[in-house]
Amino acid sequence: MLSKFAHAEIDSISTDRAMKIPGVRGVLTGEGLPLTGEEMKDRPPVAWGKVRYHGEVTAVVIADDPVTAAKAANLVEINYKPLPVVQTPSEAVKENAPLVHENTGIYEKDEGVNPIPGTNIASHTKIRKGSIQRGREESEVTIEESFFIPPSDHAAMETRSAAAEVKPDGKVIITTSSQAPFMVKKLMNSYFGIELGKVVVHTPLVGGGYGGKASVQQEILAYLASMKAGGRPVKIVYPREADLITAPCHMGMEATIKLWATRDGKLKAAEIQYLVEAGAYSDKAIHLTRAAAIDCTGPYFIENVWCDSYCVYTNHPYPAPYRGFSHSEVHFCFERAMDILAGKLNMDPLELRFRNAIRPGQTTPTQYKVNRSTVGDLPECIRRLKKLIRWEEGAVVRINERQLKVKGISCLWKNSTIPPDSTSGAIITFNEDGTANLISGVVEIGTGTKTVLAQIVAETLKMDINNIFVRMEIDTQTTPEHWKTVASRGTLMGGRAAMAAAEDAARQLKAIASCVLRARIEDLDIADSRVFIREEPDKGLHFKDIAYGYTFPNGNSIGGQIIGRGNYILRNLTHIDKETGKGKPGPEWAVGAQGVEIQFDCRDYTYKLIRAISVLDAGKVLNWKAARGQVTGAMSMGLAFAGREAFIFDKEGRIMNPQLRTYRPLHFSEKTEYIVDFVETPHVDAPFGARGLGEQGLISLPAALGNAISAAIELQVTSLPLTPETIWRMKEAER
Amino acid sequence: MIPFDFEYYKPSSISEAVELHRQLDEAGKKPVYYSGGTEIITLSRLNLFYTEAVIDIKGIPECCLCEKEGTRLHLGAGLPLAEIERADYFPLLTVTSKDIADNTARMKITLGGNVCSELIYREAILPFLLSDSQVVTAGASGEVSRPVNEFFNKEIVLEKGEFLVRFITEERFLRAPYFHTKRRKQWNTGYPLITVAALQEEGKTRTAYSGLSPFPFRSRIMEESLNRDNTPLRRKAEQAVNNIPHEIISDSEGSAEYRKFVLKNVLMDVMTRMGRRGPE
Repeated sequence: MLSKFAHAEIDSISTDRAMKIPGVRGVLTGEGLPLTGEEMKDRPPVAWGKVRYHGEVTAVVIADDPVTAAKAANLVEINYKPLPVVQTPSEAVKENAPLVHENTGIYEKDEGVNPIPGTNIASHTKIRKGSIQRGREESEVTIEESFFIPPSDHAAMETRSAAAEVKPDGKVIITTSSQAPFMVKKLMNSYFGIELGKVVVHTPLVGGGYGGKASVQQEILAYLASMKAGGRPVKIVYPREADLITAPCHMGMEATIKLWATRDGKLKAAEIQYLVEAGAYSDKAIHLTRAAAIDCTGPYFIENVWCDSYCVYTNHPYPAPYRGFSHSEVHFCFERAMDILAGKLNMDPLELRFRNAIRPGQTTPTQYKVNRSTVGDLPECIRRLKKLIRWEEGAVVRINERQLKVKGISCLWKNSTIPPDSTSGAIITFNEDGTANLISGVVEIGTGTKTVLAQIVAETLKMDINNIFVRMEIDTQTTPEHWKTVASRGTLMGGRAAMAAAEDAARQLKAIASCVLRARIEDLDIADSRVFIREEPDKGLHFKDIAYGYTFPNGNSIGGQIIGRGNYILRNLTHIDKETGKGKPGPEWAVGAQGVEIQFDCRDYTYKLIRAISVLDAGKVLNWKAARGQVTGAMSMGLAFAGREAFIFDKEGRIMNPQLRTYRPLHFSEKTEYIVDFVETPHVDAPFGARGLGEQGLISLPAALGNAISAAIELQVTSLPLTPETIWRMKEAER
Repeated sequence: MIPFDFEYYKPSSISEAVELHRQLDEAGKKPVYYSGGTEIITLSRLNLFYTEAVIDIKGIPECCLCEKEGTRLHLGAGLPLAEIERADYFPLLTVTSKDIADNTARMKITLGGNVCSELIYREAILPFLLSDSQVVTAGASGEVSRPVNEFFNKEIVLEKGEFLVRFITEERFLRAPYFHTKRRKQWNTGYPLITVAALQEEGKTRTAYSGLSPFPFRSRIMEESLNRDNTPLRRKAEQAVNNIPHEIISDSEGSAEYRKFVLKNVLMDVMTRMGRRGPE
C-alpha cells in the first residue's frame, strides 16, 4: 500500500478486512518499528503517524501469492487528514514553512550531521576558504544567478526487489538487487540489532543501478515482512511505479551562485548556496549535500570560497545517490554561472575556463593542495575539446532563416567523498588445471568492472585472461567486502585488492616452485601460467602442478592449495572540518571537458542533438571499449536528464508521471553521435594509473546543453529540464 | 500482473460473438470485447479495469478484413496496426499509425483497440474522420453501417453488446494529398502533445487533431479558417487556433497555452505542405 498523499496525518489504519482474505499471512504497518536512515535515523520503514511523500509505503501485505496480496492490499483501510505540502527547498527554508519533521533536532545521528532544530534543514555543510571580502576587493566584475532542478529518477531497467528469510536460529538470509550488499548487512545490525554474523546477503548480477540501488529500502521491508510471517521466505518485487516513486529517487536542487572576477577573467571569489532536496527523509541526502559543498566550485582554482550547502526536507520522494553524486547538479549551476560570467566579461567561455582550470600546486575548496596525480590535466582536456568541437567555427552558426547550429561547452571534476575507512578485498583461488578464480566484493551492475578486475589479475600474473574465472554473485559471508559498488571506485579499490591478491598468489606459487626447482625465489619469474627460472625459461612448472601443492614422484607433497588474498584501504583521508570544510575528503579528482552541438529551431524552440563530446582524463584506459561504453552511457543519461527527465508534481505534491509511458528516459532512437576521447595522466595510487570513469561522462553535459540553449535564445537558462515548453516560456516572459 | 481471473472466448462469427456477450452479461460477468489486449493488461494491473470474461474478436473473419473491393477499402477492427502499415492501402493511416507507441506494441495493438481506447489519444481514428469513412458495427440487430461521425463524436457511440467490426473508406481518399505530424513534449518518444492529420478533398484541406482536447476531433470551423482565400498563412493559423471548438488540455505533456503556440506553427506547416500558401 502506497500513500496517495504527499503530506498527511494517518488518522487510522484498519487491516481487519485484508487479514480475512484466505492466503494472507500478515499485514505489516509502521507500528512499533525502529527509525532508519543512513546518517540520521528519521525514517520509519513503513509510515507511522503521518505520510511525508506520495508513494510512501503505508502497509505491506504478506500473502501466499502476489495476486492475493494485491487483492488484500485493496482492503487495507487508511484514513488520512491532509496537511499542507512543501514542494521546493526554497519554500521549505522560509520562516513558517510547514515542517516535514517536527523532531529534526532529536533524531539519532552520526558525527558530521548538523540539523537545525525547528526548521526543515536536516544538515548543513560549510566551506570557508580565504576571505570573500578580499576577493571582492580584488575584483572588477561580478555576477549572481539562481538555479532550479526538480527531482527525477534513475529508472534502471531492473526494478528493485529483495527476498528475506529468518531461520529458526535467528539467521537472516537476504537476496537483493543492490549495489551495497555489505551495507545491507551493517544496517540490519544497526537498525534491528541482528548480530553481524547472522546476516547473510546475496546479490546476483544487478540489472542497472546508477546509484539508486546503493540505498537500502526493499531489504528492510522484506526482512520485516518475513518476521511478520514467522520467518517464512518473503519476496518483494517493486512494480515500475513503486520503483519510480516509492524507492529513493534522483535529488532536486536549488542554488544561488555569486562570482567575482578580474576584468581579464581571473576568478577571485565565489559565494555559493546549495539547497539539496532531501525530500521526505535525509538518508543519503546528507552525504549528497556534503559532496556538493566539497566540489562546489567545479574544477577551478578560486582563492576565496564561501559555500553553504543545506540538506532540506520537502514532501517529495527522498533521494538515493545518482550517477555523479550531486556533481551533475552542482555543475549545471556552476558551469552555467561560468558562461554568464564569460558573457559579462565578453570573453570566450572556453578561454575563461582554461585560465581558471585547477592545476597542480593549487588548492580545492577544502584547501587540499593538489598535484598531477591527484588532479590530472584539465587544461589538456580543454585543448582537445576545443579541437574536437571545432570551437573556431563559433558557438552559434545560422543555417537558415529558422535553424541555428549551436555549441555549448562545460568542464567537470569529481572526487568521491566516501568514508575514509572504506575497504575492498579480493581472493584468488585456483582450479586443478591451473586456471584461477577471482572473488571480489564489487557488484556487477552492468559496468563491466569485473572484467577489468580480471584484466588486472591477468596482467599481474601474466596469464591468459580466459583462464581466469570471475565470480559474479556476492554473498557477504564468503565474499570479501567491497564497501559499496558506487562512486566510480570499483577499479581503484577493487583493482588494488585484486592486484594484491594476485601478487600474494604469485609469491606462494614461487615459494613452492623454488623448492622443486631448487632455485632462489628471486630468480623465478611467472608467465603463461608457469613459474620458471628467469635465466632458463624452459626449466619451470605449470600452475596445475603447484597450485594445489607439488607432489614428488615418491608421493611426498608440499605446499597445498594456494589462496591469494588482497585488500585495499584508502590512505590519509580525513573528515572535513565542521566550520571551514578543510580536509582531504577523497583520494583523487577525475577531470574532463564536455560539449554538445544542437540544431535549434528559432520558430518552434525545439532542438535536435547533433553530437555530444567528452574528453576525460582517464589516468589510464584499461579497457577501451568498456571505457567508451561507460562514458557513452553516462552521456546519454546526462542528456536525458537535462532535456526531459523530471518528476511532475501537482499542487498537492502528487507525482503525475509515475510510469515509463510518461517518465521517459532516452529512447535508443533518440541517441546522438557520441565522441569520446581520453587524456591519460596517471593517478599514481590506482592500478596502472586508472581514474574513476563510471560517472564522469554525465556530470557536465546538462550544463553544456544549458549553455548551448542559452547561446541560441540569448537568454540565461536557469532550470532543468530543457524542454521546448520551458524555452517558449522564457521567450514569452521576455516579451 | 492481472489481479483477477477471467474467462476467454474466441467466437468465429459475429452472431456467435453477440450471443456470447448477451449470455455472459446476463450471468453478471461484465464481458468485454477485445482484440489486442494491451490496454486490458496495462489498466488491470493498476486496478483501473475489471472483467470476468473477454470475447476475442480476432477469430471473426469480418474483423480481420484488409482488402480493397472495387472502390472501397475494408479494414477490420481486429487488424494489428503493424499489419495495416505493411499493407499500406491508406497512406495517411500508415503514417499516423507508425507514430503510435512502438513497432513491438503495434504488432499487438489493433485498429479497433486503438479507436476504442480508454486513453484520450486514439490517433488511428483521425484518417477515418477526414475521409468520410463508414463504420460497420454489430449488435443484437445484426450488422449496421453508418458514417464515422455518427459512430465517433467525442466518445464512441456503441450500444451495450455492440462492437466495432470494420471501417470502409472510398478509394479517392486513399489517393488524396495528405500530411501528418506529431509533436511531442520532447524529441521522438511519448504521447502526442498534438497530432494533426490533414487530407485534401476538392481543393480544401481537412484537419483532425489528437492530444489537443480530451478526445480526437475534426473541426469544420477550424477548416473554414484554414481554407479562407486571400488570407496570409499566419493569419489563417491564428484564426484556426482561436476557433478550436473544444477545451484544450493542460497535463504533464504541456500546458494549454503552449499547445496553442505549437498548434499555430504546426498549422502553418500543414497549409504549406498542402500547397495552399496564402499571401504572406
